[in-house]
This record gives sequence, structure tokens and C-alpha cells, in this order.
Amino acid sequence: MTVATIRNLTVRYGNFTALNEFSCEIPEGATGLLGPNGAGKTTLIKTLLGFITAASGNADVMGIDLISGTRQIRQLVGLMPEQDCHIPGLSAVQFVAYAGELAGMPPEQALRRAHEVLEYCGLGEARYRNVETYSTGMKQRIKLAQALVHGPKLLLLDEPTNGLDPQGREDMLDLVKTISHSKGVNVLVSSHLLPDIERVCDRVVVVMKGQLRASGLIKDLKRIEGQPVDIELKEWSQGFISAAVAKGLTHVHSHRTTVRLQGPGTPTETQQIVFQAARESQAQIRGFVLAERTLEEAFLTAIAGDTPPVLNPGVTQ
Amino acid sequence: MSQIESSPSPIADLSYRNYDLGLQNPRMRWWVISKLMIQLAFKRKAVWVCSVFSAWYYIVLAIIMFFVEQMSSASGNDQMSKSFISRLIWKDQFVHGFSYGQLLFMTIALYIGAGAIANDNRANALLVYLSKPVTKLDYVIGKWVGVFIPLFAVSAVPAVLFYLYGIMSFRSYGFFTDDPWLLPKVLLGLTFGSSFLSSLIVGFSSMFNQGRMAGAAYAGLYFLTNFFTQMITISWVMMHRGEGTESPLLPLITNVSYLSVDGLNIAMFKTILGTNGSARLGMPSPIPQIPRPDLWVVLLGVGGLTLLSLFIAWRRVRAVEVIG
Repeated sequence: MTVATIRNLTVRYGNFTALNEFSCEIPEGATGLLGPNGAGKTTLIKTLLGFITAASGNADVMGIDLISGTRQIRQLVGLMPEQDCHIPGLSAVQFVAYAGELAGMPPEQALRRAHEVLEYCGLGEARYRNVETYSTGMKQRIKLAQALVHGPKLLLLDEPTNGLDPQGREDMLDLVKTISHSKGVNVLVSSHLLPDIERVCDRVVVVMKGQLRASGLIKDLKRIEGQPVDIELKEWSQGFISAAVAKGLTHVHSHRTTVRLQGPGTPTETQQIVFQAARESQAQIRGFVLAERTLEEAFLTAIAGDTPPVLNPGVTQ
Repeated sequence: MSQIESSPSPIADLSYRNYDLGLQNPRMRWWVISKLMIQLAFKRKAVWVCSVFSAWYYIVLAIIMFFVEQMSSASGNDQMSKSFISRLIWKDQFVHGFSYGQLLFMTIALYIGAGAIANDNRANALLVYLSKPVTKLDYVIGKWVGVFIPLFAVSAVPAVLFYLYGIMSFRSYGFFTDDPWLLPKVLLGLTFGSSFLSSLIVGFSSMFNQGRMAGAAYAGLYFLTNFFTQMITISWVMMHRGEGTESPLLPLITNVSYLSVDGLNIAMFKTILGTNGSARLGMPSPIPQIPRPDLWVVLLGVGGLTLLSLFIAWRRVRAVEVIG
């Protein structure tokens, strides 16, 4: 089941092409939309909500056609925009209840739900204050509350940690993670902050210059081709490296007492060769892990276009 | 800073659960927007004060009529009431009531409508509205109705009360028989009048990011056009008094003298009631009444400006973020 299927979507602002033949599938769960500033992340979100009309291509969101079912899509989706936004002259609870009514909730349900959601988002007694008096952190929370009030099936979060202090950022990420992993709400988080995405999401879609650069599970994206292993030795041993190379492994690089080796076979086969080389060279192994890149390295590789996109099984492109 | 800001409440899942009750059909979303605007409008004291003052002509006329009638019946001589009341042309009293309320209707429109869209532009509220199942059309209609209903209520309530007073107490003076369709005509005229002012203010509001700027621009247009038409009116009166009665320019000047916001509104009201107006309170006046303009002036002025304003509002409403 996918929450969104995007097919050859092209969006233009005058002569500037913001999304160029963009295709991808966003599966259920928490997905990060990664890309540098101006990559087209916000444009994609706006297009999925029908704010912007695509020049060509189409998409389904929650199984509803984007062109013919914009209203139905908006009823199933909650948007937390990047910029501060509120309805002037209202307190937080009035604002969130009003957002619920706009989404189609009966007034009394909207009010009850507004209290619940604001409590959940940590606004406590501050919910009776006018939103215009709120701090940046509180404004972020109320944006999330208004997006959540009608119980959306898909939550679109555009830079949810923008302007937050470290503690506020932690709280917001915890909140988003709980919503996506414990409450069954699908989440698409747009951000250029890799640690935020890594913390909250299981999958990523990397966008660059309006095009899909990579898409898939974060752990797959971080995996290095050829499955090299990192061996941590008690102390540096040239003999161990020589023995391993003599047995057919490739020495990729070393950093202090950590040696990265790559074998032609599976990681299990590599492991056996490593232990044989250690026995022969009298080296003491302290650790053995499959080597992986950081998300930052994976992201930089993806946007540099060095490797072809990592795709989920069944992804159309 | 408050306690809450310095140490925000811990985020904990104490009460949250998924909302699984039904959502209503996403039609009629405009009414949710209108409802909030109406509630906020009538919370403003200034709106209530202006509403009361806008009815002053009806109040004064009703008081005069009441005392004239009372004094006549007390003295047993109904000549006084006959001579006063028979001078009144009933439908023209509604024209005067409407005309004298114009400045205050404009002020009420400013209070309610200047920030209707402009404040939403400032607060990026359009992102909230349009991310819900609300279309641009719903939004504009909602804002328009939110201004229209209070304006219509403010102008219609005193007119209807005056009508009820008239029909209960002055039927023998032709209050009903002079024009049996007077009430529907008055309500139709007030509907068009409120709709004209609502459209203008919503159109102006959509062009700005601050309510006060939209209000200033609207008030500027109102007073400038009013000043211009007052000058034209003076020249019309001078021409009418002098040799210019037969001047071929007179019809043109008549039409031009209505080319202001309240001028067009009054012209439209006179056209619907089918009157050229008469002296206020039935008192003889040395200044003649300017007859109503040609129908095309009314249609083009009121209809054109209404449609143009709504089109501007519709075009300007976009879910774009305003930075700064």
C-alpha cells in the first residue's frame, strides 16, 4: 500500500522548472523528503495538495486522483507548513477547533478534539492564549496541532524543526516519531536536516533540482556496494592486513585500529577469512560490523549523481 | 516571559487518540468561514455603535411621527398630523434612511471587512484554509458572506422595524396602498447595497497584507469619489437654478453626480424603489433633488465594480507564503 504515487510530474513557475518528470512512490510509514534548499521539496508537497497545478503528469494521494479529488485528498491529509501561520484574532483552542470545522468535523467534536490535540502537543494552559503572542516553539506546536486535529491519514510536515531550540527540536522529533510509529499516521517529512530525517523516518526520497535522485529505506541507502566490513583490532597490525589480502580480501582503508576490508563473497564468507587472517597474524579482533555510510555521505553521493537511485521493490520510474 | 514559554509542557501522550468519527461532506465549507466572521464582527463594540447610529434617520422620523400623532389625538385636531404626514412620500423615507446610513455602513464594512483577507495574507492563514477541503471559491464566498450578512442585518433591521411601525400606525395615510411591494423592494435594495459594499471591501482586502492598509485604500476611494460627486452636485444645483435647465449637459452631469461609492448605492436604491427622491422629513427645501441616473449607469457602476472586486479577490487568493 502506498500513500502517494507520483507519475511524471512536471511543475513550472514561468520558465523555471521546479519539478521535472518526477516519479516515485511513497509507501506507508514515515518517509523523509530530503534535498537541499530549492530542490523542489515544498513544491512537491504543494502540488500533492493541489495548491499548484502540474504542467504535466499526475499523482494519486491515499488512492485518490490528484486532479479530480483535491478536496477529498485535503480531507485525508494534514499539512504543517514551513512558515508561521494562524488565523488572526483567535486563541489556540479556537484556531484548532476552527481548523477541525474547516476539515469537516462537527463543531462540538472539533472543540473537544482541539483540546485533546493541544494537550498532546504540549500547549497545556497556553491554549487559551491568542496565537499571536506565542513563541516560535509554540507556533510550531500549534501548526502541528491544526494539522492533526481532524485525524489525517497522511501528515505532511514541511521543515517541522525550523527555528526551534535544541530541546524544542528534540520534543518535536519525539512527537513526530510517536505519531508515525505508534499512532499509525503516515508521515512525509520534508527537511534538509539529515539528523532529523534519520531520527524520525525509515525511508527517504532524495530530490535534487526537481528530480528524484534516490529513494528507499535509509539502511539500504547507507549500505555500501560490495558489503565491506569494518574490523576493530586491539592494536594496529600490518600482518593482519597482509594475511587478509593474501586470502583474497581487498584493503579499502584503515583508520587508527579500524580496518575496512571487502571480500568477493558474502559477509559470512568474509568473516571466516578475517578470523583465519587474525589467527595467522596473532591479531586480536575487538569488533566486526558491516560497514555503512553515514546518511550525510549517502545524501551527498545521491545528490552528486554518482550512483543510480536506490529504489524500493516495485517502484516505478 | 511566561512560565509556559520558559519551560514548555512536556510532550507526553496523555490524551491523544486517532479521530475516527466521521467528517462531514466537504461542501458548504464557506459557511464555516462566514460563521466565524459574523461572530467576530458582532463581538466588536464599534460595530454595535455604528449600527445604532446608522439608523438615526428612521429613529428621528419615527419619534417625530409618534409625537405628531400623539399631539393630534390629545388635542382632538388631526389637522396637524394630516398636514405633516401627508407631505411624506413613504418610499422616499427609506431612501433617506439608506442615504444617511451610508457613511456608517462604510465604516462597518471597514471594521468587518478590511482585514478579512488582508490579515489572513499577513498571518499566512491561507495555507491553513487551503490545506483543508476548502477551495478558493469557498474562501472568497465565505469572506464575502461574512461581511454581507452583518451589513445587511444592520441596514435591514431598522428599515423593517420602521416599516412595521408605519404599516401598523399609518395605513390610513397610504403607507401600504401607496406601494404594496414596498417592503420587498426595500429589502432587495438593501441586499444589493450590502452586496456592493461587501464586494468592494473584500476586493480591497485581498490586495493588501495589512487590514489597515486595505481600510485606508477603501476609505480613500470612498472619500475622494464622494468629494468629486459633491462638487458635481453643486454644479448640478447651480445649473438647475439658472439658465442651464435645458442644457444638454444636464443628463450627463446627473449621471456623473452619482459616480461615488455611496452615490452608486443610492442610485441603485432609488432605481429599485422607482423614485427620484423628495425633501427630507417632508420639509420644503430650496435645494432640488437630483433625479436618479440612467439605468445603465447603475448597472455598469454597481454590477461592474461588484464583479471586478470579486474577480480581484478570487485572483489574489493563493496558498503562497508571505515572508517578512
